[in-house]
Amino acid sequence: MSENAFEGLGKEIQQLIAEVTGKSMEDLRPEANFWEDLGIDSIKAIEITVAIERKYKIRIGDEQIPQIMTVGKAVEVVRQALEKKKNA
Amino acid sequence: MHKKRIVVTGIGPMASVGVGKDLFWKGILDKNINISLEKTCIDSELWDEFYLHKINNFSINDFGIDKERLNDIKEWKDGGSVLELDYLIALVKLALDDSKLNYNASNNDIGLVLAHENLGIMQFAYQISDLAYEGLIDKKRSDLSKRDFFDEFYRKFLKIGYDIQTFPDLFHIARVFNIRNYSLFINNACASGLYALEAASNVINSGQAKAMVIAVSDCPEIYKYIWFKSLGIYSVDGICRPFCKNSNGLVFGDGGVGMVVEDLEHARERGAEIYAEYLGGGFDLEGWKITVPQLGSDSYQKAMQKAFAQSNVNKDEIDLLCPHGVGSQVIDYYEAKAITDIFGKNPQKPLMTTFKPYVGHNLGGSALLETAILLLSLKNNVIPPTLNYDEPDPKFNISLVKEKKEVELKTVMKACCAFAGFNAAAIFRKID
Repeated sequence: MSENAFEGLGKEIQQLIAEVTGKSMEDLRPEANFWEDLGIDSIKAIEITVAIERKYKIRIGDEQIPQIMTVGKAVEVVRQALEKKKNA
Repeated sequence: MHKKRIVVTGIGPMASVGVGKDLFWKGILDKNINISLEKTCIDSELWDEFYLHKINNFSINDFGIDKERLNDIKEWKDGGSVLELDYLIALVKLALDDSKLNYNASNNDIGLVLAHENLGIMQFAYQISDLAYEGLIDKKRSDLSKRDFFDEFYRKFLKIGYDIQTFPDLFHIARVFNIRNYSLFINNACASGLYALEAASNVINSGQAKAMVIAVSDCPEIYKYIWFKSLGIYSVDGICRPFCKNSNGLVFGDGGVGMVVEDLEHARERGAEIYAEYLGGGFDLEGWKITVPQLGSDSYQKAMQKAFAQSNVNKDEIDLLCPHGVGSQVIDYYEAKAITDIFGKNPQKPLMTTFKPYVGHNLGGSALLETAILLLSLKNNVIPPTLNYDEPDPKFNISLVKEKKEVELKTVMKACCAFAGFNAAAIFRKID
């Protein structure tokens, strides 16, 4: 997979983050750091969490929120949460 | 049942700006904020340090409290003392003295509400850590079965562990002041003070007491600092800048406040000085996360609207609003959104100011401690400006008072958005 090529769930999350932040899909590379590379602040980071939880009907823990600093990490957190939900 | 009118007749604050109502208010007006770098050492080795609005040279013996009763507490504590408990005792004394209520008779009409987030926990944690460390260096794990270790450990901490339950504190404090009426301990994080006020007011309305003394406090300790630092919301330079572009977090504040509330008729009968009427409070529990508010929710707005409904007050009647104003980008944003949803963007009214830059963030005691400043502002028709408000962030769409203002105030509101989503607002009005 090329650096900017998300598919399936990854693509959906990338789109969601683009909608919340107003950033382009091209900017939202998997490893691009929200704060350092994209200028996404802590307020937007919380808004991303709210949007993700609503869309996937999952619960992200307080301590996971600061970890969501890239699209790639967001995808990982959502995958884990969906898996947990499935096994519950 | 006819709802009684509840009035505030005693204010006993204690913070870095001063101890006791008069010194405290003078300290606010003089901007005597007294921030120091608090160092925590373990066996003289520096563990960590953080900025704190600090009370210097506190001694419970300076408050004219019955020595025999204080000794009884000391005896129960096996000769030790718990600073937070001493703070609460001092705050009750300051508030009762200010109210001039007679509490010497054992059949007095006074009840008690206490609020604190973590009373006694630090002494407990220190002792546990100490024993665990000593255990580690004296013994290998194989020397002791886990069962025997637990048994020894629990026996060591039986008393102090039992004592961090909050009811003994109610017992001790009520006993010092001959309080035999309804009593209650509350913890709703930073909003505890407003919950305590509402609870005290409900107790009076139920007829269980004519007057209630409330004491709320926090004594910020290192473990809370480490937690807040890890969350990225503790100011690294010790400067709290509410609703600013360059805000970088909160700074803890030592102390708390005692407050007496009573039935208006009772207050008038005894010729009490009345600071204000508590018209009502609004409370909403967001219930999203413990440490982060849910941006986009309307929980805080609901708390404010409930306060208007309970108080029978129109939002346009609010002359002065004191928000939580912690100086964290996320929390300030959440709060500004709620304020502008209620009052409109960049409202001319109400005027707004925040008090954490004066007294720090007193956590469980903060909402009522800041209410005390608000009530003194109301009484004196003086609005202390928000300190450190040098770079207001236009994205918040609100403006705070920058210079001291002398203006006729009639109706004021305190609002608070606490951890765990305990959102609260309370409205007060001057009595003619």
